[in-house]
Amino acid sequence: MEEATQAFVFFWVAGLFVVMGAMLAFFSKVNWQRRLGGALFGLGVLSLMLTPWTLSFSPSSAFGHLLGSLIGPAVLLAVGLYQIAFSGHVPVGRLSRTDRNIGVAMVVVGVLWLEAMHWWVLTPTYPAEVNRYWYIFWPTMLLGVLVCSSATYAIVGLVGEQRQQEQRLMLVSASLAIILMLLGSLFDGPNVDHERFATELLFASADIFGVMVGAAVAVLLFAVVLAFYESQQPVPKRLDPPNQDQLEKASHIIAQHVGGEGEDE
Amino acid sequence: MSEGSPLSSLTRLGAFAVLPAGVVLILVGLVSIESTDGTLIRFANALLTSFTFVSFILLLTLFVYGDARKRPIAPLLGMFMSVLLGVGMTVFFLSQGELLMEDNGSVRAQALSNLIRLATTVLGMGMAVMVVAGMLFASLMNTPPRAIQFEEE
Repeated sequence: MEEATQAFVFFWVAGLFVVMGAMLAFFSKVNWQRRLGGALFGLGVLSLMLTPWTLSFSPSSAFGHLLGSLIGPAVLLAVGLYQIAFSGHVPVGRLSRTDRNIGVAMVVVGVLWLEAMHWWVLTPTYPAEVNRYWYIFWPTMLLGVLVCSSATYAIVGLVGEQRQQEQRLMLVSASLAIILMLLGSLFDGPNVDHERFATELLFASADIFGVMVGAAVAVLLFAVVLAFYESQQPVPKRLDPPNQDQLEKASHIIAQHVGGEGEDE
Repeated sequence: MSEGSPLSSLTRLGAFAVLPAGVVLILVGLVSIESTDGTLIRFANALLTSFTFVSFILLLTLFVYGDARKRPIAPLLGMFMSVLLGVGMTVFFLSQGELLMEDNGSVRAQALSNLIRLATTVLGMGMAVMVVAGMLFASLMNTPPRAIQFEEE
């Protein structure tokens, strides 16, 4: 197979599978379509993660390498947080205290793993230098944690009552993100230079802002298209008012049901 | 629940979301960044790619909308035009020499690189949302249920 065809099949078709699979799994109301969506999504992600072997000649395979590098901490964080949440005050299917402790340990290991990717030797390296997409991912995630935590702090204050514990938690996570960003911009890691990190942080903010503006414009256009289409629809036909016969029949039926002289209980 | 008009609540929410990140970026910029070259290019590329990609996703969601609307063609055509507009603008601006081009040799390579960068940004934001939402949910579920305090009559 030619290199371009290989890249098309193993990367771009796989990416399309991920998008289409996620859409089907989320939006379809038919059971088999949802299962098919899940299968397509899984197949696409797997194909993307295998690109360091299937498309080793292509620079795009660095994205597959990043996906593979992140699967460990992502699973630890997701499962850990799930264990902690469902060992709390849930009415059904409550997990045990041991599950909760395991969850806490998983979250701690997940966070330390991510930190070790910047501050220790676990930095995703592909093929012989730091993965170029790691430079985008890590600052984006730190900025994302900061923005989400501070926005959630405000939301909890606006809609919640006596939620100081949650607000404190959001403050802690926002502070941690700030500290990590400042430390990364001031000190070199074993593989990441502080100036490069600071520049990538600025680029990540430009990326996030650009993505949000682009998405907002697309959604606005979508709303305009739908509103225009709906406004072009003919007004539904209005029914004629009921005639005397229909009114008498209706009053007879109503009298049968609300008169209090119907069937005995 | 806190009192206040929706506008002031929205302003407060926006300020909380943007200000801390803005302050950190200014601090980092003062301390470590020597040049901001390329930031606008990154912003413009992200905007164009995101617009095209989200239009494509919204085009797909119209198939769900069509289930309740006898499969109309007009909105599909409208969003298809929106996707084409995004692709056309991307190709046009990338073809203008150094305007939006980065370290890629061709328009196609730059467009594909933009798409992978968008995926990486979405991945980073997705992980951030997962961590913050998971922590909040875990905290809410582990808060002891409160007894309702009735005022003395």
